[in-house]
Amino acid sequence: MRNASQTIVHSAEPGRKKTLGQLISRDRHLMLMFLPVFLFYIVFCYLPMVGIVMGFENFRMGSGFSGLFNSEWVGLKWFKQFFDSVFAWRLIRNTFLLSFYSLIFGFPIPIIFAIAITQMRARRFAKVAQVITYLPYFISTVVVVGMMTNFLSPSNGIVNQLIVKMGGKPISFMSNPAWFRRLYVISGSWQSFGFNSIIFVAAIMGIDPSLYEAMEVDGASRWQQIVHLILPMISETIILLLIMTLGNLLNVGFEKVYLMYSPAVYETGDVISTYVYRQGIENHNYGYASAVGLFYSAVGFVFVMASNYLSRRVTGSSLW
Amino acid sequence: MKNRILSLVLAVVMLMSVGSIALADELNLAQLPLTTEEGATVSILGMNSWYSTVDLTDAPLLKELADRAGVTIDWTLIDPTVYSDSVSPMLASGKDLPDILEMPDLDLNMDYIKSGMLEPLDTHFDLMPNYVAFLEKNPSIKGSLTADDGHIYYVPQTVVTHSYQPVMMYNMPWLEKLGIEAPTTLDAFVEYLRAIKANDMNGNGDPDDEIPMSIQSAFLPYMFGPAFGLDLVSGFYADDEGVVHYAAYEKEAYKAYLTFLHGLYEEGLLETEFTSLNRDQITSRCANDLTGVTFDFSWQMSNLYSAQYPNYDGTVGIIAGAAPLSGEHEGFYVARNPISGVFGINAKSTNIELAVKFLDYAMSEEAQDLYVWGLEGLTYEVDDTGARHYLPRCTEDTIWYQGLGINAPNMPSQQSTPATDVLLPEWHVKNDREFEVPFMRDPYPTVYSTPDEAAITSMYLVDIQTYVDERAVAFICGYADIETEFDGYIATLEAMQIEELLKVRQAQYDRFAAAL
Repeated sequence: MRNASQTIVHSAEPGRKKTLGQLISRDRHLMLMFLPVFLFYIVFCYLPMVGIVMGFENFRMGSGFSGLFNSEWVGLKWFKQFFDSVFAWRLIRNTFLLSFYSLIFGFPIPIIFAIAITQMRARRFAKVAQVITYLPYFISTVVVVGMMTNFLSPSNGIVNQLIVKMGGKPISFMSNPAWFRRLYVISGSWQSFGFNSIIFVAAIMGIDPSLYEAMEVDGASRWQQIVHLILPMISETIILLLIMTLGNLLNVGFEKVYLMYSPAVYETGDVISTYVYRQGIENHNYGYASAVGLFYSAVGFVFVMASNYLSRRVTGSSLW
Repeated sequence: MKNRILSLVLAVVMLMSVGSIALADELNLAQLPLTTEEGATVSILGMNSWYSTVDLTDAPLLKELADRAGVTIDWTLIDPTVYSDSVSPMLASGKDLPDILEMPDLDLNMDYIKSGMLEPLDTHFDLMPNYVAFLEKNPSIKGSLTADDGHIYYVPQTVVTHSYQPVMMYNMPWLEKLGIEAPTTLDAFVEYLRAIKANDMNGNGDPDDEIPMSIQSAFLPYMFGPAFGLDLVSGFYADDEGVVHYAAYEKEAYKAYLTFLHGLYEEGLLETEFTSLNRDQITSRCANDLTGVTFDFSWQMSNLYSAQYPNYDGTVGIIAGAAPLSGEHEGFYVARNPISGVFGINAKSTNIELAVKFLDYAMSEEAQDLYVWGLEGLTYEVDDTGARHYLPRCTEDTIWYQGLGINAPNMPSQQSTPATDVLLPEWHVKNDREFEVPFMRDPYPTVYSTPDEAAITSMYLVDIQTYVDERAVAFICGYADIETEFDGYIATLEAMQIEELLKVRQAQYDRFAAAL
């Protein structure tokens, strides 16, 4: 009540706007809580953006921060070099396809799994299954790739030994470009489907039980319940998550690709971020690497904008 | 009165020190200690030990060196396997760098030199008697290190070039069992591999567990390139007429090379996992007597590979070196360039004079002796004849020995063949002189690029090497068909401006040849 009356008092004084100082002092505790986040974004996200200018200049080594402003300006030279390079198209294609396949194959699995787990009568089994499937999410990428290398080794990997036992020829999975995307996508969904299903499980659990009862009274089978009740009820969650994933479509994990690839599979495995790493860090072509990275970010920006727009159109909710 | 006496004493002291500097100069020696200042510190950025369990921060031998010089070293040591990736960004930022910098590469494009971050050392040569003497003794190294502005910016770390380099190594008991000599031609070599595949060479009753050849993929070009007349190791090479070629762009020879390797791969003589094979795996194969031939740096032959065999007694090699393979061309081994690393001095350092003096002292014969031999009583003893012998612990306890800072990778050390010989068994030294040294051929020389050349090189070379590497694997494994796709490969290299690069390399080679 007191709050309300205060508000009334404030609004009763029109024309006297609070100064910035007053606002800050009123919300100082909230501001203080916000400060770390603010600093994080300034220091790690916004300040480094100044480095973008490197993409337009011939960066002088050893000149540090000031070098950003007094290196030779070369305009769009690095961009031209990238688009003239035989790798440009391949890198864009690889980056896009890797994300696209991850989405196509990785997205439906958690939904199916969530439905299966909630429909299961043996509750204890369902719980155990859920725990087991989400644990891999917490294994670090290095370990996952190490496991893949071992299991898939052509000479003593368990997978190839099975293939040989069944009369096949061993396949060198990790050095065959044809296998790179499949392995990346399969291992990626294996690692994350349990974890990603949690949100769908929660959505399904949130459905009013009386709706199931009503359907059962009407004689609906399990399958009909899934198709006509569960899916429509969680469709909003699905669409929201799908749109959010779309925004991140180009964010293929650098670490995993870097750990998995070798010159043998560059044809399908080399993505923009790994190329930028090789050019920039390994070969100190800082200007060129920045230009390629900037191009990559620009494309990513378009995706985020588009998914936000889509989200607003489809679900009515959006980030801005 | 007091003051006058004091100034007199000071003057005498100063005169004396001038005299002794002059004397030291005559003897071509730096004066020790380098400074009398209390707590003088030199900071150094360098590589840590190649042994992952050894940390050189407190290495006793390096400490001894610092003590003799009268300084304390403030180390920034970085794992050598990630050295370049970690140090390049540090150098690019140019902030808060130590006084002495071990560079991540030889700076052939002069990226660092041009940036002005390094102190031209020749302007301090009055303080560097040891280095000046070294350069006088090694004019070709001096030539390689002189930048196009005439200054010298780096102190080198040098290695042996024509001995203990990568060579063929055979399983000698297996050769004997088959009753043959070590193959010297490609055909005889393939026959040898087939014989291993067909027989139970290790006599364990299983004829299928033998792996004919165990080669890390990086050594395949060393091993087979020369038989096709290619120096794939250097990439660029000059023929007898002084014309520069790029090995992976040799239409006939490189195609033949790939076809040969693809044949080995198809037949199962080159294992399916050859791209990921590493030295540890090969070592364990030796321990189980599973493999017939390998190719590696020669100095691994005795103490690493042969030592794996239970019946190795140190007098006869079990894995031993042999002559290179010949094909249509006479075989050879690829030697290496003497400069393996370079140290520069941070031009922004506030401590340049002391850093220069210390770097020079680190080049001195005294320091070199310390790198190789260590200290009397600690690592070696002197017998009645005055000859030095390593103490047994040096070979028995590798981690301790490496932890001392022996041949430390963060010092401008100079490897030498005699110093390496004493570390190895007699048969190995003999093997090196007989089968390796005579077949060594010089690699493409180390030459600085002019700014224009550097621009062209950095623009095209990386992409070309990436493309060549990945196509090589594809052709060998059969993911790409040599007959139908090789022409496309050559065309792509042309599109990637290989001809432009060849022109640059030709100009550099001509400069080098003219300077000889």
